[in-house]
Amino acid sequence: MPSGDTWRRRESGPVVRPYAVTGGRTEPADGEVLDLLAVVIATGRHAEDADGTVLTPEHRRILNLCRRQVTVADVAADTALPVGVIRVLLADLMIQGAITVVRQRPAGQRTGSDVLQEILNGLRAL
Amino acid sequence: MGSAHSDGAAPLATFAAHKILIAGGFGSGKTTLVGAISEVRPLRTEELLTTASIGSDDLSGLSGKNTTTVALDFGRITISSEIVLYLFGLPGQERFSFLWDELSYGALGVVILADVRRLTDSFPSVNYFEKHRLPFVVAINCFDQAPRYDPEEVRVALDLDPGVPVVLCDAREADSVKQTLITLVEAIAARWSRDSSRRGHGLGRPVMAPRM
Repeated sequence: MPSGDTWRRRESGPVVRPYAVTGGRTEPADGEVLDLLAVVIATGRHAEDADGTVLTPEHRRILNLCRRQVTVADVAADTALPVGVIRVLLADLMIQGAITVVRQRPAGQRTGSDVLQEILNGLRAL
Repeated sequence: MGSAHSDGAAPLATFAAHKILIAGGFGSGKTTLVGAISEVRPLRTEELLTTASIGSDDLSGLSGKNTTTVALDFGRITISSEIVLYLFGLPGQERFSFLWDELSYGALGVVILADVRRLTDSFPSVNYFEKHRLPFVVAINCFDQAPRYDPEEVRVALDLDPGVPVVLCDAREADSVKQTLITLVEAIAARWSRDSSRRGHGLGRPVMAPRM
């Protein structure tokens, strides 16, 4: 991270701007860095009811996207916000219980090669 | 808090997300390829500039600029109701190679796009994915003016293992890109069945990214 004397005037612009929507925070509050393809969904709990925290417009946009299951990368691409910013904002919403990471379905009888075969069938059908 | 979704009761995934990477030198056609077969959107990351980039980026007058925005090509192909394939274009410049570690994590395999006019640009990708044992195919992008090469000549030039497929690909054509991806998935299947201890690799991806 930049040392103190680099955060000055317009030189600091390119550094600060992307993280302005996180209040300058660059690390997720829970310390966990979500994988790009982790799938998240809104829980239906209203984050601001939980402890009176006010959501930013970016939090609301993300919450709206998470009404169906989406990957972290999808959220970043759909909001046009950098992945690092999205990780910080998603962590805020997770801490408040407004979104959760979904569980992967148990593989059951399906092996890795079954999945590859399904991908092949899908590609051939494109 | 009495949440309906405590950690133990998180909802089940409705789909499985799988990742394929598109690598290759700068200008090798990665954006074109991803766009030919899927809706392509830029995915922005903010990266710290490393000392490796000091020589290649003109940073004069920007002494306070410590991060740079990297836009990745990002595409999504719905395979079935349960499987979605995500394509990530890796930034080609070597100074972004630290991003490759994160993007390679949990990936099924890689298409390395090669431009025969600048074959040496493919070396970093080939070396990286050989070292990390990720299955890959080399796709020779058939640019209009580029001389036609025999794939076997390219195999020799890149010193590839016999098991690595080398295909001709027109990154502008959906059918050609589709065939390249099919060749890759077949190569992944062959690798997995050869290396039975790794069968199932790529499934059950951890939720957390590796710490950089």
